[in-house]
Amino acid sequence: MGKTVRLGNRLRYPITVVKLLKSPGDKIQGQEAVFEYSYKWKEDIRGNTWDKEQTTCVNWNSPSEGELKSWAIKEGQVIERDGPCMVVEEACSHEVQFNGLCAMCGKDLTTINWAAESRDTDRATISMVHDQTNLTVSESHARKTEEKLQRRLLESRRLSLVVDLDQTVIQACIDPTVGEWMKDPTNPNYDAVKDIKTFQLDDGPNMWARRCWYYIKMRPGLEEFLKRMATMYEMHVYTMGTRAYAQNVAHQIDPDKKLFGDRVISRDENGSVHTKRLQRLFPVSTNMVVIIDDRSDVWPHNRPNLIKVSPYEFFKGIGDINASFLPKRQDLLTSSATTNGVAKKKPTAGATAARAASEGEVTQEQLEEQADALMKQIQERPLQALQEKLDREDEEAEKATVVSEDGSVSRSSSPSSARHRVLYDDDEELRFLEDHLTKVHKEFYKAYDKQAAQRENHWVFNSEIPDVGHILDNLKSQVLKDHKIALSGVLPQNVDIYRSDIGMQLMSFGAELRASVTRDLTHLVVNAAQPGKEKLRAARALPNVKIVDLGWLAECFLKWEAADETPFLYKIRHEGDDLRLPPGATSDVSDEEDIANGANGPKTPANKKRPGLRLTATTRDDVDTDGGEDIENLLPDDIEDGQMSPIDGLKGFNWGSADAELDEFLADLSSDDEDEDMDEEDDDDDDEYIQKQEESSSSEDQKPKRRSRSRTASPSRRSASPANKKRKHDANEDGADVTGTDSERSESGSPSKKLRRTKSARGSSLRNQFVASADDAAVNSSSLPTPAVTGDEEDVALLKGGDDEEEDDGWDEAALEAEFEAGFAAAEEQLEQENNASIAAGGDQEKG
Amino acid sequence: MFFLHNLERRVTLHPSYFGRNMHELVTTKLVKDVEGTISADYFIIAIMDTFDVSEGRILPGSGMAEFTVKYRAVVWRPFKGEVVDAYVLSINPHGFFARLGPIRIFVSAYMMPPDVVYDGNATPPQFTNNADVVIEPGTPIRARVVGLRNEVGEMWAIGTIKGDFLGAFEP
Repeated sequence: MGKTVRLGNRLRYPITVVKLLKSPGDKIQGQEAVFEYSYKWKEDIRGNTWDKEQTTCVNWNSPSEGELKSWAIKEGQVIERDGPCMVVEEACSHEVQFNGLCAMCGKDLTTINWAAESRDTDRATISMVHDQTNLTVSESHARKTEEKLQRRLLESRRLSLVVDLDQTVIQACIDPTVGEWMKDPTNPNYDAVKDIKTFQLDDGPNMWARRCWYYIKMRPGLEEFLKRMATMYEMHVYTMGTRAYAQNVAHQIDPDKKLFGDRVISRDENGSVHTKRLQRLFPVSTNMVVIIDDRSDVWPHNRPNLIKVSPYEFFKGIGDINASFLPKRQDLLTSSATTNGVAKKKPTAGATAARAASEGEVTQEQLEEQADALMKQIQERPLQALQEKLDREDEEAEKATVVSEDGSVSRSSSPSSARHRVLYDDDEELRFLEDHLTKVHKEFYKAYDKQAAQRENHWVFNSEIPDVGHILDNLKSQVLKDHKIALSGVLPQNVDIYRSDIGMQLMSFGAELRASVTRDLTHLVVNAAQPGKEKLRAARALPNVKIVDLGWLAECFLKWEAADETPFLYKIRHEGDDLRLPPGATSDVSDEEDIANGANGPKTPANKKRPGLRLTATTRDDVDTDGGEDIENLLPDDIEDGQMSPIDGLKGFNWGSADAELDEFLADLSSDDEDEDMDEEDDDDDDEYIQKQEESSSSEDQKPKRRSRSRTASPSRRSASPANKKRKHDANEDGADVTGTDSERSESGSPSKKLRRTKSARGSSLRNQFVASADDAAVNSSSLPTPAVTGDEEDVALLKGGDDEEEDDGWDEAALEAEFEAGFAAAEEQLEQENNASIAAGGDQEKG
Repeated sequence: MFFLHNLERRVTLHPSYFGRNMHELVTTKLVKDVEGTISADYFIIAIMDTFDVSEGRILPGSGMAEFTVKYRAVVWRPFKGEVVDAYVLSINPHGFFARLGPIRIFVSAYMMPPDVVYDGNATPPQFTNNADVVIEPGTPIRARVVGLRNEVGEMWAIGTIKGDFLGAFEP
């Protein structure tokens, strides 16, 4: 098989082939004339074209060299446009190149070939070797190499594991204090630092960092971890440090080169100082690659393959010394709790900027910044400062104890050993990480074996190898399944939570992320340092929401299981207290709810999804404390004492008769509408539809679901409407939540069902129902568990039918759609809510 | 291949050095400037001696003195087709790099005997024919240079170990 050579775009078409100079089998040199052709042209002198046409005969030179296999043109042929001309068996395809030299034939490919349209160096553009950037290969060669790699790994039943260094498996620092502590057995930190590895690098950016010592603390259990992982994974180091740093660290954690070999890639070969790409090492398929890294934002293209580990923070406040070029991390979960707040003010120092200077991407400013930070770390000795601070605190505490307990405290007897220390070696991430990696490995080969079993001779094509990214996704998405989580005070206001690191991580673990507190919420994650008040308040009103701090998330992410919330429950403090439910109120409502549950809640054995129903009491409570919340002044005065629901009067109401009345009324209404309507056919259809609906509903009447729709649920659902309004306000205060929530809005449809009687409210009620149904549809289509009150769907279905009949499609569908697409602007929604509420209140009063 | 090569270079000297031992200083400066550098397609390994130092000429404007120095130096230049000895630096699936004096030479997997193949399972990875040939970092290698390219201050080479008496050897 040869290479098809094209004529090229540069010829003056049409051309006539005059003579073929070579015949198949001949050797062709590069740029050698292989055929003659002629073309016609008109002489052009100073813009005037001469009429006389001239013919010129030219040689066509071959852009490639090798052996001529066959011609695609023949003598005398007139060619109109670019096309294939001949097939050449090339002597060398130049698929592997080293700095412009073909590694297969040794030819210098940078020489310019005037006959060719593309350069030879473009034939190999993929760099996939760890320690070189100037060794490039062609795509087909890369594919071949990678297939070989995959075969080899499959044979030994392993996968590839890309390991980040800084804060993932080790932490480095250059604070000389560490060196001093290591030499001083009396230092309280001695135990923690004594096994720290050190090395010296001579490539610091300035005199401060020159020949400075690097202190490398390995994550506890690293050695065993790596050894065990090596049986399941072929490991690569991928770090943002410099080459020298990477090699030195790799040497520290793997002195015999048994684990990583030479598979070390650093910033110098990465090609970017901001992101890491798996494609740099595995250009074709990342199906068998797992990454462990403490930062997910540096892997924008390979998130599925990433197992994010919590950053290792042994040297408190030092962070990642090689992260100066990266954007600031936003995903600190636990460390903020343990670093005594130093992390914030402490600049991260980059170790070795001099090498990076050769890269064009690194600006001088960044370099200086890095050098500054580095110098600061050496001069200021943040660890020492921390220890001194602790010591001081100790002393004070000691004094205090001495005074109070007459010096009998055991601590005072041996002050040096009991001194508090800065460094604790208590990280256990690797233990869990090992479990996860083992699980991933097992799952992958389970899937692979399944594939292989289906094939004769157990050969699985490379394209059919299971993707470890999917496997990882599947494993992770089980972890927080059915958890609906909102965040409070975790991210800055202007950050899109769905794109934030923590948000994406949450979603990758299968949790549903909510922008606001909704009634089906299960967890509210609160940043204990700065809780967002609105969400907190809203969540407290919902008894089923567990309010937890960030530690819970960290625990879930660490263990890959829904952790027990109890130790992480957010302690309710200061101002929030008065918002809590008085115990009496809760029990009061729960009776009512139990009844409702028993009657119509077969779908939801626990009351998890029905928190909305119990809001009657809480709402009033909230209104009491907040005052001014009741903007519309819709709530009757007499409920202020918090003991009576606004619909208490309806408790003894005969709903059977009410429904009968309603049916009658609906029937009436449809006939009314016929008069008004222009489109009678449509109307008939609708009538039929409704009838069917009613038939089916009556036939299925025994089903609890059905009943929930029409009768039993009604009181409680209606009771929810003022609550709705209240919570809406809460949510709106939150700023970001104007879009509201599915469940709330779908429920807002139910009161309006009643209100259909009030003809005055027709327009708005239609809109509400439309909104409700659309939202419901959205909920269903996205296959989320129905968040709303049980039986709502059917309600909506019926409402739709009834509504169609009632309003008779007098509303332009297009208009409605436009409205829908307008995204329910905030103001509009507010209006709706108010409308709803006022209507609900009106309805109630009418009833009562 | 090594050569003794006669070369010429202009050396400038700061006025503060003007004095009795000026020629010595010129030689010292020459050695400092030139030894270990690459010029055109050869490396200047060491300067043997300077056999002609011209009279100094003051450069108008700067006051520096310029000497034209003729000197003899040992230079090293690789040639296409030359057989060289080198140490293996690193191995990758596409081939291996070896240190050939001041430059790096790359021997691709295509440039090896067909029975020598990459073994990624070995620690460290190696090229081997599963018999007597094992090429891993540190192995001395005899290779033939098949391609050369140089840019300012840099030179790269492509080698082959396909052929008689080429490949890993005992030094």
